[in-house]
Amino acid sequence: MKPILLENLYIKVNKNNLDQKLRYNDGGNVHMDFHGATNTTIEFIINKYGIDTMNDIFKKVGNDVYKDIKDHIKNGNIKMLAKHWQHFFDRENADYNISINDEEIILTVNRCTAYEHVRKLVGNVSPNFCDQTIKTNEALAEDTPYEIKTEILGEAACRQTIRKRA
Amino acid sequence: MIPSDHFTRFYNEVFKFLEDQGEEHLEAYWLEISKNQEKHTLELFKEKGLKGMYEYWDHIRIEENCDMDLKLDDEKLELRMNVCPSLSKVLDNDAEPMKRYCDHCAGWIGPLIDKVDHHLVYDVIDRNKPQCVVKIFKDKEKAIEEEKNAKLLMGWPKKKK
Repeated sequence: MKPILLENLYIKVNKNNLDQKLRYNDGGNVHMDFHGATNTTIEFIINKYGIDTMNDIFKKVGNDVYKDIKDHIKNGNIKMLAKHWQHFFDRENADYNISINDEEIILTVNRCTAYEHVRKLVGNVSPNFCDQTIKTNEALAEDTPYEIKTEILGEAACRQTIRKRA
Repeated sequence: MIPSDHFTRFYNEVFKFLEDQGEEHLEAYWLEISKNQEKHTLELFKEKGLKGMYEYWDHIRIEENCDMDLKLDDEKLELRMNVCPSLSKVLDNDAEPMKRYCDHCAGWIGPLIDKVDHHLVYDVIDRNKPQCVVKIFKDKEKAIEEEKNAKLLMGWPKKKK
């Protein structure tokens, strides 16, 4: 039975209630050290070319790499993004939950294992590490009827909300 | 978060930007990645030589889901990548693949192997196919001899002559 929070009529997403077929549906082992390479890359690009260049690259990731998710958002199917979140946060063993209703989907990340892994690997996480989420989300929502808001709640924690633009 | 599963597609976007800036920009980035990789490989390679390299790539083989054969003998380590997951993902991509995506691998491994006084022969074979053969020799002359057999030999920044 779906756990329903009666006070706000959200449905908590679980493995069984998001029936979407992902464009990139990775399986097998997970190589978390790639997050360390992402951190190195962010530092390298910002130091050498500036933050606008880094943001432009994230924009390309949102628009081009994730074109399929963006197309679904354009067509009103925001559940595809929720499925993407669910699949990859599960694979990376993050502490998170997703709540969904007819108007919006909220992803709350209580413990981001990507952030924690980088902290363990290199000590200092780039202050721009979470821009990969913020800027890619912005690009995903650009030119669609939806907006995606990313709020950083603290170290390794955030809330991402997709809802129809006002 | 860009999932670790999708890092290579992010990498591909970074390469395309740097290639537009010029070759030296790409090489500077490969060297930065190489420096980053030194943190968990340099000591291992220095201390254990070919055996340490075998240990590292055997771990990568499993963790990155590579279809790869590894062969170690007294003179060399041979990595035969049958299906490279990195290039496979870049080719299976809604974004345009960078034409020279494979070059980054020799770009970061080469400088590292130079530092530990071993000799890398990197045969990409064909940049459009997710396969390659990497041989690392103790002896320089044997590496030079092996280079003659490569179909598409890769270089790297500041390659030792």
